[in-house]
Amino acid sequence: MRIVHYLNQFFGGLGGEERAGTPLEVREGALGPGKLLEQLLGGDAKVVTTLICGDNHAVENQDAMVADAIEKVRQAEADLFVAGPCFQAGRYGMAAGALCSAVQSKLSIPVITGMADENPGADLYREFLYIVDSGTNAARMREVFMTMANLARKMMSKTPIGSPKEEGYLTRGLIRDQFVEKTAGERLVDMVLAKVKGELFESEMVPTAFAPVPMPPSIKDLTKAKIMLITDGGLVPKGNPDKIQGSVATRWGSYSIDGCDDLKGEDYEISHGGYDPQFVHQDPDRLVPLDVMRQLEKEGVIGELYDEFLSTSGLANPLSNTRRMGREMAAKAKQLGIDAIILTST
Amino acid sequence: MQLTLAIHPISEIRFDSKTYLNGATLCVSKEELRRLVLEDSSFEGVDFEIARPGESLRAGPVFDIVEPRAKEPGGSPDWPGILGAPETAGVGTTHVLQGAGVTLLREQSTGDSRGAVGYVLEMSGAPAENCPYASLNHLITIPHTPPGLPEHSRQRAYRVAQLKIAVYLARAALDATPARTEILDLAGANGEDRAGLPRVAYVGQIFSRQRKPQLDEPILYGTDTDGMLPVVLHPNEWLDGAVAPSYHCSLGGAETYFYQNHPVIMELYRRHQTKELNFAGTVATIASANNFDRERNCHFAANLVKWALKADAAILTKFGGGVPHTDLSETARLLEAMGIRTTVQVTDLARDRRVESALLFNFPEVNAIICIGGNSTSWKVPRVERVIAANSGLAEVLAGPFELESLNAVGVANQQGASRLRAMVY
Repeated sequence: MRIVHYLNQFFGGLGGEERAGTPLEVREGALGPGKLLEQLLGGDAKVVTTLICGDNHAVENQDAMVADAIEKVRQAEADLFVAGPCFQAGRYGMAAGALCSAVQSKLSIPVITGMADENPGADLYREFLYIVDSGTNAARMREVFMTMANLARKMMSKTPIGSPKEEGYLTRGLIRDQFVEKTAGERLVDMVLAKVKGELFESEMVPTAFAPVPMPPSIKDLTKAKIMLITDGGLVPKGNPDKIQGSVATRWGSYSIDGCDDLKGEDYEISHGGYDPQFVHQDPDRLVPLDVMRQLEKEGVIGELYDEFLSTSGLANPLSNTRRMGREMAAKAKQLGIDAIILTST
Repeated sequence: MQLTLAIHPISEIRFDSKTYLNGATLCVSKEELRRLVLEDSSFEGVDFEIARPGESLRAGPVFDIVEPRAKEPGGSPDWPGILGAPETAGVGTTHVLQGAGVTLLREQSTGDSRGAVGYVLEMSGAPAENCPYASLNHLITIPHTPPGLPEHSRQRAYRVAQLKIAVYLARAALDATPARTEILDLAGANGEDRAGLPRVAYVGQIFSRQRKPQLDEPILYGTDTDGMLPVVLHPNEWLDGAVAPSYHCSLGGAETYFYQNHPVIMELYRRHQTKELNFAGTVATIASANNFDRERNCHFAANLVKWALKADAAILTKFGGGVPHTDLSETARLLEAMGIRTTVQVTDLARDRRVESALLFNFPEVNAIICIGGNSTSWKVPRVERVIAANSGLAEVLAGPFELESLNAVGVANQQGASRLRAMVY
């Protein structure tokens, strides 16, 4: 088993903060903690190359350093790439995460690293990697390496990997299914009894907390404002020219309402399976309120209605799609000088 | 209010010239059933097939699965509001042909989020290993209705015919001695010896107003739930014909079979009988189409649980897709604010397999969540020896091999609590 190991300037034995600007260096064989790693992996495990880089250099020149490191890993014909463990060190964690992520996708070999849960590198990369929960205490290096070695062995032998708790890695925020002994009905009764008795229980799912989006300043003068209509109700021109999917949509479209005062059902169709479309079929203005907006435009209540409406389907759509589409729509609106958007949903 | 289930185990279904019960073999006359079904002029014809556990067989798209059950005279009517007078369900003796199912197929795929295959009954292979329906003997019923028939008439015809067949078959057991009886009764729930036990209620959605019900769609005692406010039901009413599933469900589905064998209600009854809890009762409710309706319904349901059922805890399940999550979590939030501890069952919404996509609510107090997975489970199903479908077009779609998603395998990701699938966070 050929291993390439990445260390920062401190664990690589070059020095402390004063060496944080050191560019990527290559050493043959294992160095410092790498020797322990070799020992714990046992068998024919050999750290053939150690890469050392100063934390500041890694962060300030990430793309170039990562590209360089990938080459070295490729040349070493590595079977496994190990970074850190980084414990609490933030720049080290960012570098380790970036390297592991890149090696995994470009070279398709198993990668493993270790960080404390609070390490900024953990949040950025936990979804893509197995990051062993190292805690913050570097004195636990041995135990951390043992956990990393176990996981590495499983990855190399393609053994299924268990839960974060069982295997000692940071929760990746992903979901997979399992068939269990008890029916949902039985699990519901078990859990409610535990909860009402004040006993410990483990919820099968946990909500995610999202950082609130700060509200932009209000429009000073609505009579001069340029307004755009957007819908996630899946209203598209007949024939759905952009093939916007009815659920888990990855696409959105922009459709002309130039010179139009009133949307007609026969010109549109609905690509969205989550609501009863008959009322929107009868009159699409119920979903995209063009008729009322034109009225307000004529009366001078608003400055101008932009002559296209944007549309996609919100049905069963995960954030990984809607986040991106929202950003793209916002970029377009910004480019067009839109002052406000009315977004209608079902 | 006492319901007695007289259980007759069925290990085989066979066609014969008459319908009768021979030990654990149910003998079925196609002719008798045909005459029964064709009483309704909506049908041009009907065919029957038998599906046995372990067979290399696939049937679909499934409209519904019903357990053959029939009421002994002197108790509630069979399917009050649909087949019989709308009197209270859940009283008297119900004969059950356990191990059998009447499974009716659709003539068209619904073409919605379940796609062309709709709900599929798979009798062998990996999907069958975790499917409660794969161990039943099915009388597959294939309807033939004229293409011009309005959809609401067709679906009502399906619903009524299927229930008629299920009752007719179980009537063969009325004079037979059951293998065992089960008595479902909440008597003694307020007894002194039970005073310290937590009172647990069940709140089940039976319809989602994301859609309007079809004309004459029978859901609760034969009504379509339009305009309905949440109601208190005795647990026996769910089990004994008060509730039928809407023609349209989504995600992992809901079938009459699991109203008759309601996983949450049966488990609460079991633990009531072992004196671990007091089964306080149930509320049937609906998911709403707009926020005003939602607030009204959620408050109403929560009040029934608190003041009518006097519960300490409640289990909540939903009917339908994503919008019902909102009613589910809002009702739970209100209950928690009233001091009632809740557990909710959610279905898998995370099409991208990320935890951030899994839930449509984030209330710290609604923290006891059962999550049925489904989005990361599918099977490459093979060509099978027998495909049962209403026409050759559907038979071709179902022939295989194709990728069968667990949400399409009827029963696997069931929304009524029968699912053994669980979403694991890693």
